[in-house]
Amino acid sequence: MWEELEKIYYFMKRDMISFSTYKTNIAILVFTAVFGALSFAYLGSNASMQSVLQLYNMSFTTYILIGLAFSSYLTQSLTLVQKTINPWALEEVLVSPTALTTFIIGSSIWSFIWSTGVVVVYLAIGVFIFGVSLSINILGTIIVVALGISAFIGFSMIGAGILIVTKQGDPVTALITIATSLFGNVLFPPQVLPPVLQAISYVLPQYYFFYCIRLMLTGWTIPMILPNLEILALMCAIIVPLGYAIYALCLKTARKNGTLSWF
Amino acid sequence: MQSENAIETINLTKTFKSKIQNSETGFFKRKTVSINAIDNLNLEIKKGELFGLLGPNGAGKTTLVKMLCTLLPPDHGTALINGYDIMKEQMKVKRSLGTLFSVGERGFFWRLNGYRNLEFFAAIYNVPRQKRQERIMEVLKLVGLENSAFDLYQKYSGGMKRKLSLARTLLPDPPVILLDEPTTGLDVISSRNIRDFVQHTVRETGKTVLYTTHYIEEAAQICTKIGILKQGKIIACDTPNALKEKIKKEELIYLIVEQITQTQIEKMHSLQGIINITETTEAGLMPNQKGLCVELKSVDQLPSIFDFLFEQKIKLVNFKREEPTLEDAFIELTKRA
Repeated sequence: MWEELEKIYYFMKRDMISFSTYKTNIAILVFTAVFGALSFAYLGSNASMQSVLQLYNMSFTTYILIGLAFSSYLTQSLTLVQKTINPWALEEVLVSPTALTTFIIGSSIWSFIWSTGVVVVYLAIGVFIFGVSLSINILGTIIVVALGISAFIGFSMIGAGILIVTKQGDPVTALITIATSLFGNVLFPPQVLPPVLQAISYVLPQYYFFYCIRLMLTGWTIPMILPNLEILALMCAIIVPLGYAIYALCLKTARKNGTLSWF
Repeated sequence: MQSENAIETINLTKTFKSKIQNSETGFFKRKTVSINAIDNLNLEIKKGELFGLLGPNGAGKTTLVKMLCTLLPPDHGTALINGYDIMKEQMKVKRSLGTLFSVGERGFFWRLNGYRNLEFFAAIYNVPRQKRQERIMEVLKLVGLENSAFDLYQKYSGGMKRKLSLARTLLPDPPVILLDEPTTGLDVISSRNIRDFVQHTVRETGKTVLYTTHYIEEAAQICTKIGILKQGKIIACDTPNALKEKIKKEELIYLIVEQITQTQIEKMHSLQGIINITETTEAGLMPNQKGLCVELKSVDQLPSIFDFLFEQKIKLVNFKREEPTLEDAFIELTKRA
């Protein structure tokens, strides 16, 4: 009996010691838990619901539904480049006559087809079960989604680049995920946050993406959202080339050091 | 004029830096050390050659392969593959090469069958669409996997996975093939199949193969030329027989004789050209028999030994001439360098 208990203790001790060596990961987990709790607290508050009505003139259900449906797009984009850097697959592809851009786009296309299916299912459930009323501006939706995905692929390239070099936890992806849930305009409008925190929302592309996409699905026209769309486009123009440059630089560094397949 | 070399390295150099912690540095500090993985390497491999690259662990074999296939940029120097520079003409180099890494199965997709895996690689290696299906079946047949083409990759055995890696390497029909330890971890039969296949491919198609291996006899068996790599330098490069000749300092012969006395052995020792005679303890010797290992300066001294045995009425039961193996050559040459 005692022998078995002792064994259980050593299993736990082994895992605890191993876990404690992943310091970045521990910090990320703590942050995620704290910010996750805050996000849900704001989600359930009356202020959120009233704010949604005032700012978007739509029901809270419609607001949440669009937020959840399109957040899957962003999540896919955010982890996209990391998924392609499986070191072994990466080596096999890099020795083939295939351009890096083709590799990234090719590796991501299925994820987006799947995510589009998920969005359609979310919206269909909203429309047919919860009576959500949608009036879709197709061109506007395509433009906003394309810009949102591009910005997140930019973030993803930064995260993947850091991961290729450090071989450890990717703090960029973790930070963006936390920022999206709390400041990204996914579950509640950032206007309900204290002014200091609201400022963070306005420098994130997520805020503009969710603002624009909600309006494009509920009968607004492109000129009506143009100022916000322009900000989103400007952010993309900065993040995407920056992400590509960081990714390419990190890849070059790992190739130079011969550490591409070390994970 | 086109070069007759399929692979040529010109002062190729790669140094890795790594941080180490030891009793000198203490717990909190780390010391950076440089390791010359490839050291100013100049190597020429002719078109149609099956070139074996032998070397102990850490000699730089995989580093060299990774540099040749453009995965790892050199610090200095360069290399030409089929006449194309690995630094300046990477796409052309990639189109001229097929590479099999030592753990080649890692790039495959486990939930796809063999055919679908090759279909993906055929696309990224620019195999023309109209020829793709035919080519995939052709290479699958070449490596003997045609009957398992539609089995899931995850169900393949280790040997089958390695064969599929080989099929992938051959898929774009490249003129130059790099095989990094293709038989490591395989059973005897699978290893032999792969060796036979590589040898047959070179003979039939005239492709150039750089074959790295730990297994000396494997290289001796199939390679037309062998380079021995040590600490990033080629310390010897020649045909397997010429390498053996390089370490052959003296002839060794083994004799089993009957009714020889110690005095006769001493007398024999004084014959011209004999360096040393030692008694051997071989299994199966009769009580009146002795085993002798005789070191000669040259094989020309053999008749004088036979004359001596005849004159002394010593019966020769057995005679064996010892040839150095490639393993002897490898050990001796790596020791000397």
